[in-house]
Amino acid sequence: MTHAVENPLHHPEVHQASLPGYVASFVITIGIMTAALWLTEKGSLSAQSLVGWTSLLALIAILIQAYWLLHMNWSKAQVWHTVAMVLFIPLFVVMIGLTMWMFHGLYQRTAITMPSGMRTAPAMHAATGGVATTTKEAAKAA
Amino acid sequence: MFVHLQGPWNPVWGRLSLQAIPYQNPILLGTFTFAMIAALAIVGAVVYFRAGPYLWREWFTTVDHKKIGVMYCLLGLVMLFRGFADALMIRTQQAIAVGPHSPGYLGALHGYLTPFHIGQVYTAHGLIMVVFAATPLLVGIMNIVVPLQIGARDMAYPYLNALGFWLTAAAGALVMLSLFVGNFAHGGWYGFLPLFELPYSPGVGVDYWMWAFQLSAVGTTMGSINLIATIVKMRAPGMTWMRMPIFTWASLSTNLIALTSFPVLMVSLALIGLDRYFGTHFYTAGQGGNLMLYNDLFWVWGHPEVYFLILPAFGMMSEIIPTFSEKTLFGYATMVVASFAIGGVSWGVWLHHFFTMAAEPSVNSFYSVTTMLVGIPTGVKVFNWIFTMYRGRVRFELPMLWALLALFLLLVGGMTGMMNAFATSDYMWHNGVFVVAHFHMMVLLIAASIFGGVEYWFPKVFGFKLEQRWGKWFFWFMVLGTAWVFVPMFILGFAGMTRRLDYIPVTQWAPYLRVMLVGMAFYVMALGFFVAHLYVSLRDRVKNRVGADPWGTTRNLEWMTHSPVPAYNFAYIPHVHARDEWAWRKEHGMASLGNESFEDIHMPRNTGVPVLLGGLAFVLCFALVWRIWWLAAAGLGAVVLVIILRSFARDTDEVIPAKTVAGVEGGAQDALPAPARG
Repeated sequence: MTHAVENPLHHPEVHQASLPGYVASFVITIGIMTAALWLTEKGSLSAQSLVGWTSLLALIAILIQAYWLLHMNWSKAQVWHTVAMVLFIPLFVVMIGLTMWMFHGLYQRTAITMPSGMRTAPAMHAATGGVATTTKEAAKAA
Repeated sequence: MFVHLQGPWNPVWGRLSLQAIPYQNPILLGTFTFAMIAALAIVGAVVYFRAGPYLWREWFTTVDHKKIGVMYCLLGLVMLFRGFADALMIRTQQAIAVGPHSPGYLGALHGYLTPFHIGQVYTAHGLIMVVFAATPLLVGIMNIVVPLQIGARDMAYPYLNALGFWLTAAAGALVMLSLFVGNFAHGGWYGFLPLFELPYSPGVGVDYWMWAFQLSAVGTTMGSINLIATIVKMRAPGMTWMRMPIFTWASLSTNLIALTSFPVLMVSLALIGLDRYFGTHFYTAGQGGNLMLYNDLFWVWGHPEVYFLILPAFGMMSEIIPTFSEKTLFGYATMVVASFAIGGVSWGVWLHHFFTMAAEPSVNSFYSVTTMLVGIPTGVKVFNWIFTMYRGRVRFELPMLWALLALFLLLVGGMTGMMNAFATSDYMWHNGVFVVAHFHMMVLLIAASIFGGVEYWFPKVFGFKLEQRWGKWFFWFMVLGTAWVFVPMFILGFAGMTRRLDYIPVTQWAPYLRVMLVGMAFYVMALGFFVAHLYVSLRDRVKNRVGADPWGTTRNLEWMTHSPVPAYNFAYIPHVHARDEWAWRKEHGMASLGNESFEDIHMPRNTGVPVLLGGLAFVLCFALVWRIWWLAAAGLGAVVLVIILRSFARDTDEVIPAKTVAGVEGGAQDALPAPARG
């Protein structure tokens, strides 16, 4: 059942609001995302380093947003939100990790390519130029 | 921006035309006639008894968790009937269409259903039974029971509760509408990619499937948020975690699964939507897409969904078995741990639905082992139930009979599940009817628990017991039907029969298929007994009136308050002293203690906004199915507008005066026959 709150501004979650916090997180995360875009566009890093650096930047952006935008902290008003977020992390890692593991092996074993029937399907108007559609092309591109 | 369509389209009606109405199909015409007669009978009765204002005021606009729960159960029952009709069609088709000389009717070469039609029937049967029958029935029971078990007056978010229900109902209506306007997906309930892509399924069937599924997923996610918040934040004073009733624990575990897994389903369906509407390539094999990604994402939801369904069923068994064994539940703490262990492991088993994908042996081995791990906590539960009955005074009343049937089906389904967990074996019978028979054991155990739960809590909700005689006929004919349908199905699975066949090429399978048809006849008779069970119970409701504790040996808080439960649940919020509080109070002579004076009770006010939003969501999805863009835009705009307007509503609460509470409390006692007064 809902609890009577006459004035929504008195709600403890609303009290977490902070204009400097919002502005800071917005500016910093925009900066981080711009840096990630610049790194990707520059193309001077190896694929592995690029994934590492962009992942690190994404992690920093997530932490900043979690703290300043979503107010993840241990205060009485927010502790359940924080607990839910923390408990979500292993689930996320399990799902993404296991998915990557299964697809990594699958690609190596099957070299999935586009079946010829799909290339001529009515909805596939766009040319497949630039995209590897056979095992040979994929190997060449690699 | 939108993808090129095959077939006609115009800006006013989109893809909709008179040809979309299958009036030339005698089966659908008959179904339509039946539906119209049923609808006219219901509308006629409402008009005759002038029940419209009452239904609107007390039911359609309600935010009371008990009434919403009852409506969820009614929705589930209607859809269960529809799903059963689909099953009947599948079994009759397979019994007729055996061998090249089998007769063909109604335009079918063999049997009476064309491959396209039976494909729709299979798809609808699966989706309806899992998403629109079992899920609403379980959510309905959780809705009713959980707030009562924790001593709360309603759910944490009553408005959200009503909204979740009406979105689910809108999704169910969309599935039903596909019978009479257009058609339904024909490739299986969980979808196949790239078959479900627009070039290969250019009709509206997949769109109906997708939007109905999506809408129900939104509704269920809302429900899970609500139940988790209710359990975490609204327990009565003194109800520590380890004093919580076991059904509430099961509900918490199941809704954590729902909250974390249903968003994955929504994403996987949304990506199909992007492929079908905007021409993206998430699930195509080329252009950066990956058709196995759909299987991956879908079953990331799909297997946790199995435990989402089964954990409340286990919870109901854990409530029924102690009551009718007249003992406390054996191994409470291990039950709690087992519920969460099942919930946890559920997140690491999903690849076993596609062992044949050609993943590495190490990957398949990992998922084989995790799947087998599920057997450990499940085994803990089985032994706990058996030890609860051991040396108990077991009473074989209807709820207990259903719980015991569920226990038996769990053993059969569990053992065959272990067989399926071997990836090597699965290569032999993947997509065979052995797997189909296995998972039907599991869903039938869920159904048995639901029937047990309904028998058990019915007196609490409606104030009278269901009669036993016709109920037992219903029970035993369900047992007969289950044995006669699924034992042959296991045998056919070993014989190599694959699922979803519209024509049976192996004539040696015919005897088993005919035996299964006999089983279906038992199920039809069981349905008749079920109707008689309800009719006689309603007729004799005054005679079967009960007090707060109709079974005499119940243990939890819900049995403390009156039957039927007043709108405010408890006149005063109980203070909890022990696990099994009600049993503790009875043991300590505190069963009849209560306050003599009452206070005003603050409750949420009914609102018509959820039913309006459900209706608008239905319009939006219908328009998207038929690609009527102006209607979709109008529907979406209206949904957003109504949500914004509702956010400004301030008059959302009401107070039940103490005088009214006193009147209800006194009246509830006076209405009872003397022996039933608490």
